[in-house]
Amino acid sequence: MKITELFERGEFVVSAEVGPPKGFHVEHLLEEAKTYLSGITAVNVTDNQSSVMRLGSLAMCKALKDEGLTPIYQLTCRDRNRIALQSDLLSAAMFGIENLLLLTGDHTKLGDHPQAKPVFDLDSVSLIHAVTKLEEGVDLGGNELVGEPPKFAKGAVVSPCSDSVDAQLAKMERKVRAGADYFQTQAVFEPEKFIKFMEKAKEFGKPVQVGIIIPKSAGMAKFMNNNVAGIHVPDEMIEELKKDKEKTKAGITGVEIAARIIKECKPYCQGVHIMALGWESKVPELLKQAGI
Amino acid sequence: MENYTKYKLKRNDELESLLADKDNLFIIACNKCFKEFETLEEPECSEFEKIAAENGKTVTGSARVDFLCNKTQTEKKLQDMIPEGTEHVFVISCGLGIQTVADLAEKPVYAASNSLNYTGYHGMALTERKCDACAQCFLNITGGVCPIVDCSKSLVNGQCGGAKNGKCEVDSSKDCAWEKIYKRLEKQGRLEEFLNQPVQLRDYSKVNFKFVNDYVKSIRENRLDGYYGGVHPAERKEFTEGMALQRFPDPEEVVIPLSMHAGAPANPVVQVGDTVKVGQKIGEAAAFISSPIHSSVSGTVVAIENRGHATRGECLSVVIRSDGKNTLDDSVQPHKDLDSLTPDEIVEIVKEAGIVGMGGAGFPTSVKLKPAKPVDTILLNGCECEPLLTADHRVLLEFADDVVFGLQAIIKAVGAEKGLIVIEDNKPDAIELMKEKTAGYSNLDVVVAKTKYPQGAEKMLIKRVTGRKVPSGGLPADVGCVVSNISTTKAISDAIQKGMPLVERVVTVTGERLKNPGNFIVKIGTNTKDLVDYCGGVTGDDEVTFKAGGPMMGFVLSDLNVPIMKGSNGIIAVDTDHTAEQPCIKCGRCMDVCPMELSPLYFAKFADEENWQGMKDKNVMDCIECRCCEYICSSKIPLVTKIKAGKNAVRGMK
Amino acid sequence: MLITELKSRETIAALTEGKKVFIINCVGCKEVHFPEKEATELQKELAAGGNVTGMITTDYICNPENMELRLQKHMDEIKAADVVLVFSCGVGVQTVAGYLEEKKVCAACDTYPLPGFQGVTPLEYKCDQCGECYLNLTGGICPITACSKSLVNGQCGGAKNGKCEVDSNMECGWERIYRRLEKLGRLDVLKCPTQVRNFATDDEVSK
Repeated sequence: MKITELFERGEFVVSAEVGPPKGFHVEHLLEEAKTYLSGITAVNVTDNQSSVMRLGSLAMCKALKDEGLTPIYQLTCRDRNRIALQSDLLSAAMFGIENLLLLTGDHTKLGDHPQAKPVFDLDSVSLIHAVTKLEEGVDLGGNELVGEPPKFAKGAVVSPCSDSVDAQLAKMERKVRAGADYFQTQAVFEPEKFIKFMEKAKEFGKPVQVGIIIPKSAGMAKFMNNNVAGIHVPDEMIEELKKDKEKTKAGITGVEIAARIIKECKPYCQGVHIMALGWESKVPELLKQAGI
Repeated sequence: MENYTKYKLKRNDELESLLADKDNLFIIACNKCFKEFETLEEPECSEFEKIAAENGKTVTGSARVDFLCNKTQTEKKLQDMIPEGTEHVFVISCGLGIQTVADLAEKPVYAASNSLNYTGYHGMALTERKCDACAQCFLNITGGVCPIVDCSKSLVNGQCGGAKNGKCEVDSSKDCAWEKIYKRLEKQGRLEEFLNQPVQLRDYSKVNFKFVNDYVKSIRENRLDGYYGGVHPAERKEFTEGMALQRFPDPEEVVIPLSMHAGAPANPVVQVGDTVKVGQKIGEAAAFISSPIHSSVSGTVVAIENRGHATRGECLSVVIRSDGKNTLDDSVQPHKDLDSLTPDEIVEIVKEAGIVGMGGAGFPTSVKLKPAKPVDTILLNGCECEPLLTADHRVLLEFADDVVFGLQAIIKAVGAEKGLIVIEDNKPDAIELMKEKTAGYSNLDVVVAKTKYPQGAEKMLIKRVTGRKVPSGGLPADVGCVVSNISTTKAISDAIQKGMPLVERVVTVTGERLKNPGNFIVKIGTNTKDLVDYCGGVTGDDEVTFKAGGPMMGFVLSDLNVPIMKGSNGIIAVDTDHTAEQPCIKCGRCMDVCPMELSPLYFAKFADEENWQGMKDKNVMDCIECRCCEYICSSKIPLVTKIKAGKNAVRGMK
Repeated sequence: MLITELKSRETIAALTEGKKVFIINCVGCKEVHFPEKEATELQKELAAGGNVTGMITTDYICNPENMELRLQKHMDEIKAADVVLVFSCGVGVQTVAGYLEEKKVCAACDTYPLPGFQGVTPLEYKCDQCGECYLNLTGGICPITACSKSLVNGQCGGAKNGKCEVDSNMECGWERIYRRLEKLGRLDVLKCPTQVRNFATDDEVSK
């Protein structure tokens, strides 16, 4: 099922993400996903997230689909040139994987193989363009595909709380023009910034899922503030996390905060995307508190 | 020779759509670099003008510029270049030039060309060898054939299966690199070695943007530090900088040329057979720009005849056989103290003592001390920016009080407000000492300058220290300055305090090929060969080059049998570089380093064509002959020789 | 015109151990970096072992005509050596290797990667010779060299405080481009079609 169909129906779409392991044993991950994520619309599978080598996104998507979940296949431009990217997209179509999230990808230098050649033959925009072309029945080289062309829900990302929102909006517009159907955002901790961003972003007429991370500790919040682009956890939130360490450790504070953010953002967007970062078990409670 | 042309015009349809909504265009084309420097005309500019006209556009003007990427020079050229009414600027250049103009022009700037896409060209010669700067040089395992640039796939572990008849699968006109590597290794008997190599893996993590950016920034800052251009040759002063001055043993015979200065040679005032004493005048200044000459020994004049001369081939010289007694001439008497002397008296003493610029140029100092314009600042040039030389450095250390006295005399003679002793930061001991010596004087100061050649050139020195720019064809006095050399200043002190004319000087005898380098106080007229012999001669069997002066501005001595003169600050013995002049590849580095902001490459071209008007138009007369261009020239073009020819011809044009 | 760095001591030791060595230093390109001090130190050690048959320190060894003239004066020393060790960028090593085809010629340096640095003038601008100048779409700031991922369709999500995710000292190229376009009133150029890079090379030049 394409998640675009749900957006069209006016549903508030919920997705969460899982990261494949460094290894090929996925039973545990599948079990967790079935337990905690069955209630949500779709599950993103990351593509060698943070440039750390792991099991492939496509294979994991197939495994999730076999278990009855709806996977969103994340695909980055860091590791493959246009031939490999298009080829993998066709493979996804063959497996019946219909939802894509198309990204540029972190630089190789940030991961566990800094010596690797960063490819970036295409970037997120040209990758979306490539998928659009495939849907039209031709590849980037202008060659016709054999048989019925594939059809995907083409997702893209945007960073609403970035310190250069206008540049991000410009890029978002380019993605829309290239054919993006929906957007997932970088984690939001400042709903007011997100709301402001959406005022402009809604002009593009594409559904947007607000990105949510459940903050695990004040330390994690500070780390993200210092190291993760486009994320800023406000001081009062960090104070809140500091107040009752036990409560924070148990995930109660984090879920409260995340639920609050979702509630505030919900009227302005069309869905939520949860990056649980190992706390998949908290997802049901979070959605409950957020009233979804 | 390979042609490394860097750009070509964009495709017509692309240009047409680019032009669609634009009008009133100004076009700037970069004259291409890295190519054989034969023609001046670049066809792209007119081609683009044609396309613009075909599309019904108004062109407000166009310009062709050399090395558009040279921001300093381009900035100057761009002033007033773009006419009123221009709305859009189109640049035909590689990406560097376009970015430069985009940054400088106030108008929207567009690229009308693409940089050509090829990898690995980085050498300074237009050869087929390339380097992709992979940071893991693989040449050691490939017999010196580069697998990164020569193999289309940049394979590092051996040949792929795609080669056919020894040619690459990508381009059948290209040899398979691994085939070449294999053959080379086979020839050298190194196949086993190759087979035993561990698996090679590329490492792409070595790109360090910070390092590269900082590094490039530091080169740029050096290049523009204090004044535009200049170079940083290895200093190699360690041979002699720590060696105290020694008095060179008295020569048995001196040969004193009657021309050791700019201007007219002196007229001899002694005759063969005359007895002369130390400090006695033997030649009289023959004109306003000229200088008297004095005997450096006591003895008998044995000849007045043409003898070998370091810079002029031959010169009328007074040959004196020393009696070994060094009897002083009666005229050698201390003058009044500085306070009692009038400025005119100081100038007269300097003139009579035969003092001329001892940095090498030999301009009569007395003339300098009577500037036509008011002067507020005296700059003592303690830079000694020539590599290897340490003569001035030693004078500063060992005659500090004399230098300070000489400086005060100059200040008084010229009526300046202050004197600045400028010393390069590679001489911390001299800086410290001079700071100490000048501490008690409110009108004196020491300025420390970051080492860079040719800082000692007066125009550069003035720019660096005062920020003033001597106009083209002008003199330091035009900007209120007089520059004096250290040894010259010490000579002024000797002339006033001892009454001793200029009859000896400090000479550094050094170079990587000299056996025992040193700094010596040498009588004018001493044979250069005696100095070299005294220093133990040369080491090694390879060919050696002797120069009078430093490695940059020194004159090659084909014959050592020439006398030490007033301007002889050094005698050096260095390795001979066996090269021949190659064609100019228009790399533009001579323009990068020319402190006078000239375009030396044209001087080479025009000199060969005997286009003297062209030389004049390119301001050849502004050249200070610092030799930076020749030093940097990868084609080993004797630029200064060609420039000198041009200057002579231009002088003759009047 | 390149920056070089010495290979590791172990690597050089492996190349020279028990061998007679002839050394060539290139100090061409003048102010461009050559680890002169480190090289001299290392060469002194080699010479102390009595295995150095000769040495030339010169410039622009990439010029084959002049290099040939220089090497001819040292052929005896080169013949006596098992290996010719060249301290230069890759162009220099290849030039020497090309002339001394029968000899084992080795590189003692790695050549530092300078993305887009053309090295001709030490400029604040870089050009990667991509063959399809993007400057018209970016207000004259090159996205190929100013962006560590060479993105041509806009900023990635990795910039933090206007700095690049790869190097926090490097300004985000696309942030700069955006500001420049904003200043020029040319933000509309961002509405151009999706750019797809062309990595084909201009074979008329590459020989």
